[in-house]
Amino acid sequence: MAAPLQSALLPEQIANAFGLSGVLGEIVGGLIGAFLIANIMLAMTAIAGPWAKRKITAAFTDRIAVNRIGPFGILVIIPDAVRLLSKELIVPEGVDRPSWDLAPIVLPASALLGFAVIPMGNLGPINFHLADPEAGLAIVFAFASIASVSLIMAGYSSNNKYSLMGGLRAVAQNIAYEIPLIITALSVVIFAGTLQMSEIVAAQTDALVTIAGISIPAWYAFVNPFAFVLFLVANMAEIGRNPFDIPEAPTEIVAGYQTEYSSVYFVLFYLGEFIHIFLGGAIMAVVFLGGAAAPISALSFVPGFVWFVIKMWAFFLFTQWCRSALPRVRIDQLIEIGWKGMLVLSFANLVLTAVIVGVLL
Amino acid sequence: MSLEEQLPETVAEGQSADELAELLGDLVIDRDDHVNAPGFVIRPDTVQDALRRLRDDAGFDHLSCVTAQEYEDRYESIYHLKKYNDPTQEANVIVPADKEHPVSQSAEPVFRTADWHEREAYDLIGIDYEEHPDLRRILLPDTWQGHPLSMDYDQDQPQIVSLREHANPLQEDQRSDSDSDTMFLNIGPHHPATHGVLHVKATLDGEQVADVESDIGYLHRCEEQMCQTKTYRHQIMPYPDRWDYISAGLLNEWAYARAAEDLNDIEVPEYAQIIRTMGAELCRMAAHFLALGTFALDVYGDFTAIFMYAVRDREEVQNILEDLTGQRLMFNYFRLGGVVWDLPEPREEFFEMTRDYLDRLPEHLEEYHDLVTGNEILQMRTIDTGILPPEVAKSYGATGPVARGSGIDYDLRRDDPYGYYDELDWDVIVKDGCDNYSRLLVRMLEVEQSAKIVEQCIDLLEDWPEDERNIQSNVPRTLRPDDDKEIYRAVEGAKGELGIYMRADGTEKPARFKIRSPCFSNLQTLPEMSNGEFVPDMIAALGSLDIVLGEVDR
Repeated sequence: MAAPLQSALLPEQIANAFGLSGVLGEIVGGLIGAFLIANIMLAMTAIAGPWAKRKITAAFTDRIAVNRIGPFGILVIIPDAVRLLSKELIVPEGVDRPSWDLAPIVLPASALLGFAVIPMGNLGPINFHLADPEAGLAIVFAFASIASVSLIMAGYSSNNKYSLMGGLRAVAQNIAYEIPLIITALSVVIFAGTLQMSEIVAAQTDALVTIAGISIPAWYAFVNPFAFVLFLVANMAEIGRNPFDIPEAPTEIVAGYQTEYSSVYFVLFYLGEFIHIFLGGAIMAVVFLGGAAAPISALSFVPGFVWFVIKMWAFFLFTQWCRSALPRVRIDQLIEIGWKGMLVLSFANLVLTAVIVGVLL
Repeated sequence: MSLEEQLPETVAEGQSADELAELLGDLVIDRDDHVNAPGFVIRPDTVQDALRRLRDDAGFDHLSCVTAQEYEDRYESIYHLKKYNDPTQEANVIVPADKEHPVSQSAEPVFRTADWHEREAYDLIGIDYEEHPDLRRILLPDTWQGHPLSMDYDQDQPQIVSLREHANPLQEDQRSDSDSDTMFLNIGPHHPATHGVLHVKATLDGEQVADVESDIGYLHRCEEQMCQTKTYRHQIMPYPDRWDYISAGLLNEWAYARAAEDLNDIEVPEYAQIIRTMGAELCRMAAHFLALGTFALDVYGDFTAIFMYAVRDREEVQNILEDLTGQRLMFNYFRLGGVVWDLPEPREEFFEMTRDYLDRLPEHLEEYHDLVTGNEILQMRTIDTGILPPEVAKSYGATGPVARGSGIDYDLRRDDPYGYYDELDWDVIVKDGCDNYSRLLVRMLEVEQSAKIVEQCIDLLEDWPEDERNIQSNVPRTLRPDDDKEIYRAVEGAKGELGIYMRADGTEKPARFKIRSPCFSNLQTLPEMSNGEFVPDMIAALGSLDIVLGEVDR
């Protein structure tokens, strides 16, 4: 009984738990499942945004940060939420209304949609995986790319020059880095022979080498470290964090596309950015870090979902580390790195991988 | 140091005053020597001719300051000239202008720095500079009525500006000129990159800067006018702390102390000079740390760790200064003839605390070099951006780390020694990269040199015999320098050459008090550095200038 439950997707499990079947079961299961996953993501963002980010930045800069409310100040989330929600929503004169209002909704929505196809592992009998289409990897990139639309909507409709510059920078940056990002991911697809997320994860379960009884799994980060580094850099640019935070570039263009946003709209942007970071971490985990698998088999008693969350947070921590330690590059340098460096390298990686896979395997 | 003794000294190695007079020939209509330098009175329509001769034939390549003032019977502009390779050689060109129609030829074609200096003179005094390319108000709003430092200015006159004149100041940039392919952008006065209330009017061509113009005056607090209403002996000293308020207070106080002491022939005991030197260098370290931190903010973004690290180090310096002076920012520690009190008791504790810090400093600096100057992305961003060639820098009167980052070997602590600097072992840091990186590097290396100076001062102070700890010389309760005695003296502030011009009128208050702010001159170079560069480089260039608006606007 346990084995089939493991492989069943979350909506199916929910439908079974309610004793529903057919179309009704799919709809109810899908809705509840999506609600559950979205809320897990929002909760993680709530911890990451107001609390973890402050604590991490403080640790990098020799400070203490929030420590008054709750253990380690974690309940600062509540007053922060009250503060942000009770602020006045300022709508500047001359904004392009429908798109100005839509932009802060599109950004978090696109990132949340991406999680639909991410296999996040098991927690007890529950399998955190909403859908497993055959073109999973393509779908997740497609969803993630919608974010750029939100940024240019915000930048253009704000009727502010700083916003406009931020929006234009965001588009230039995303185009320059999404192509290397996807091309690099393609090299993994060549290895795995599939776009389906669960299959990509499954292809990474074998042992690569075994040293002194500890087997290192065949995660693609170990199989092709070059692709992993390329993907990591492109991902940093994709989510717009240092050294590639030029769409926002505080101290240059104030806050870029989000300059004119306040109150709830600002919260939505903030939320969207953090979910985007987590989505970036989730894609990294699935494509390069064995999905929900434990790094060594001795640790596989820890539920897969926990490992997956740890991997996402590791990426989040990495972005915060870069933020504290790295300068940002200039827009022309960024474009140059993207088109002249990353694109060429990612194609080289793709061709090499194809040759190696075709000849050797 | 009376007038007669001073003169032969200042022109000892260069041309004598008479040689200069000969060079200027029939341009000179009179002589009006100041305490610091010979003064040549010329006609108001020969300014460019006289300055060009002095620059090209006598080597006076540094127009340090332009002072304007009004007398009962005339207006007067004084051009304080120096040489970059020997600032002890000075010359003043004095240009009287008609009382009814004060018109004088502009020096801008000869020295670019005269642009802003003459605009300020026009703004505050009301002298009209002919041939000036852009004679507008600079510190006060365009709508201001009258010239505040002129004699007939009515201070009680209400400055009522009609709503029409103040109607949306941003309106102009909202115009949609369909032929134009550039964008006008207001950066500041409230913007994260301007470190204060600076307004940069930028014209952008895409991401590139086509033109920038700094709009200053938002923090103008009438410092010169206030000093003119205060007595030399005690009342002026608190004000310098408020010019460059980024912890450079003692350096500013020294500028006033040096000028006032030379004006009144006051000697300062050696012991007090050592304390002054130590305090000033501590201030310089604190100021440079903050410059480093804010530059990191500009290039790294607002979550950078470097800013906090720099503030942490500055905090330790600040604690030492607090122990020494009793204050953290507005020290008011110097007095004419010395300092206000001796080192804090117990002295051993103070020495230990300072030594402790100096011992830890190399490690911290190593960390900064790892994080900042050694970072390849930072090098990519700052090397060969914000170029300021030495010739341009000289023409704009750039001084301090900005000049030294452009390869100009100019430091008043060594070239025009005061205090105890010439007895100590330290180096002037010069880098010839002329870019943002060089200016950053100069500041970081200067911190090391300052630490070296402080260390030597600590050693000297520790061994100083107890009965010879004389912190102040005898200075009369009231100082009344002779009528019409004039002096211009500068010290090396944290940002560059900080000069004070004072004219005595026989009373206990200066008749004219003029501040030569290094930031004011340095900020003028911003268009030279940033035109044609990308927006981020313009921001970095602005950060590398390390301006403090309190000193720019005074």
